[in-house]
Amino acid sequence: MKLLVPAVVLALGVLTPACAGAHEFWLAPSSYRAARGDTLRATAFVGTGFRGELKPYAATRAVTWVARGTRLVDLKPGSVNGDDVFGRWVPDDDGGVLFAYESNFVPIELPAEEFDAYLELEGLDGPRAERAKLGALAGDGRERYERCPKAWVAGRDPKRVTAAVGLSLELVPATDPSLPGPLKLRLLFRGEPLPGTLVRAWNHKLASGWSPVDGASRDSVGPVAHARTDAHGVATLVLPGSGEWMLSAVHMEPSRDPRHADWESYWASLTFARAERKR
Amino acid sequence: MRVSPRLASLIAGAASVMVVAAAAHAHSQPYSFVDVELDQGVLHGRVTAHVVDLAHEAALPVPDSLFDAAFTARRLGALERVIDSHLKLGADHRRVRPRFGAFRSVRDKRSIAFDWTSDVHAPAELELDGPLFPYDPPHETYVNVYVDGKLVHEDLLDREHTSASYVVGTRQSIARVVGTFVLQGMHHIFIGPDHILFVVGLLLLGGSLFRLLKIVTAFTLAHTITLVLATLRVVNPPPRVVEPLIALSIIYIGVETLLALRRERDARARIAFGFGLVHGFGFASVLRDFGLPNTALGWALGSFNLGVEAGQACIVLAAAPLLMWLRRHDPAIGRRVVTATSGVIIAAGAYWLVQRL
Repeated sequence: MKLLVPAVVLALGVLTPACAGAHEFWLAPSSYRAARGDTLRATAFVGTGFRGELKPYAATRAVTWVARGTRLVDLKPGSVNGDDVFGRWVPDDDGGVLFAYESNFVPIELPAEEFDAYLELEGLDGPRAERAKLGALAGDGRERYERCPKAWVAGRDPKRVTAAVGLSLELVPATDPSLPGPLKLRLLFRGEPLPGTLVRAWNHKLASGWSPVDGASRDSVGPVAHARTDAHGVATLVLPGSGEWMLSAVHMEPSRDPRHADWESYWASLTFARAERKR
Repeated sequence: MRVSPRLASLIAGAASVMVVAAAAHAHSQPYSFVDVELDQGVLHGRVTAHVVDLAHEAALPVPDSLFDAAFTARRLGALERVIDSHLKLGADHRRVRPRFGAFRSVRDKRSIAFDWTSDVHAPAELELDGPLFPYDPPHETYVNVYVDGKLVHEDLLDREHTSASYVVGTRQSIARVVGTFVLQGMHHIFIGPDHILFVVGLLLLGGSLFRLLKIVTAFTLAHTITLVLATLRVVNPPPRVVEPLIALSIIYIGVETLLALRRERDARARIAFGFGLVHGFGFASVLRDFGLPNTALGWALGSFNLGVEAGQACIVLAAAPLLMWLRRHDPAIGRRVVTATSGVIIAAGAYWLVQRL
């Protein structure tokens, strides 16, 4: 089983080399802990197996780009198109900062076989069943996808991470995710609980202190935990160990704009870090 | 699920080989960056291109060799020709031919940046087509326009959005925006049979000039409200709602006309206003697709609406006198024409409704 996980990770990377939509997208702050006055830099990565490439900030793609500290601040005016740093923020207290981003839709088209394989690998059973019903009529996968990542820089006020921001698809932890123990969370789609959706967890060691290892210089890893949301959109994940964590979920449904795509998908992620448990 | 270690290692091994094979031609950072700067009227800028893309287009076998400044200097002519042929930058609808200056490595982006300048002075409008390297389907070109050091326009070109434009805020350029968007508004009316049929439907029952003016004004007022609200993203209903509603409005006006022939009632001004709100959202979606210049948003919006009005006026001027003449010449034939046309309008609306649901 230990070997199967990297095999699936690698297979996903191979099956979807041209399909950026099938890659995870996450926010990586320069540090997962920050004190008042520190300068935090948030970057974004796209890739598989919690390893990826830097994604420059695109002003025309950003629908939401905010930092929630003592107040919710729009980071868009301070971010520059094409910059490797998505945004910079200086916390004005030690309560923690939640970064949240939502892109607009990006269209993509895949040959039918590749699209079906990608649906299977991502656990998107609903769209897969719909396409299976149509058979050959289902055709190539015409999809448009949007990204909804969040990153939590831990602090004394967990409400900043346990309250929803209002992204289209959003992972909302019930408690401070940086604390040890099983993590209960809600998955919201347009503000409503989303049942029956796979939530996966990925883990990587931190570099020095609370800084993550560069997303492009690390090895790919497989998910270490997963759970499906229940009827109330709630899932509980057992997250063993410390380091940098990424939770991710994807939801796909028929496109609201069938002229441009048959399906639309939403990719949510939440990154945070946990300390070594004291013995 | 249990998988034997042997099978798993085989899958992992095969996948690794495929990853390596894919990586040999795949490009993990498919981005380029074009800065266009206008300083005291002088047009210059910088193109930053990934070494993989430069090597591909210049037929160089080892992309990383471009990080060797001496190697790059020896091939500068070929590299500049690559940039020159890919940088489809226009100023006032003329292709800009860049004169290249210094180059430098941008290691963290695995790119080479090329400075350029041009003979273009004080252009009114800048256009850039892209992305820079279309051979690679996921490639994206980040475009930033600076005027006198201030970032005034940001864009991202990819295979879906292939053109960026920036209008420098002069009188001449505003006149160009007005001209472009008036024509776009008229064009949209003339190529959109749904809007034409709705307007014709409103006119079928005829009436005094004042009454027709009241109906058309109600329609204009309503679609102007929603066009502005949607363009400014205050209200943004999805096309899957708007498009079927537009089809429904066409059915409704057809049925209403048939009913009005039998009863003495004329609710057209109210209908025109109500459904005009829906049609405005349709116009807004077209306007968004066309791309609005951030620096002349008001002018573009007003001009597009003016074009829509001009298009509508043409329909009114063509249809209203014809219907009036028919009704006066032979009321019975006039009535039959109104009935038949209403039937056609209902059928067309029903067809679009089914198609758009």
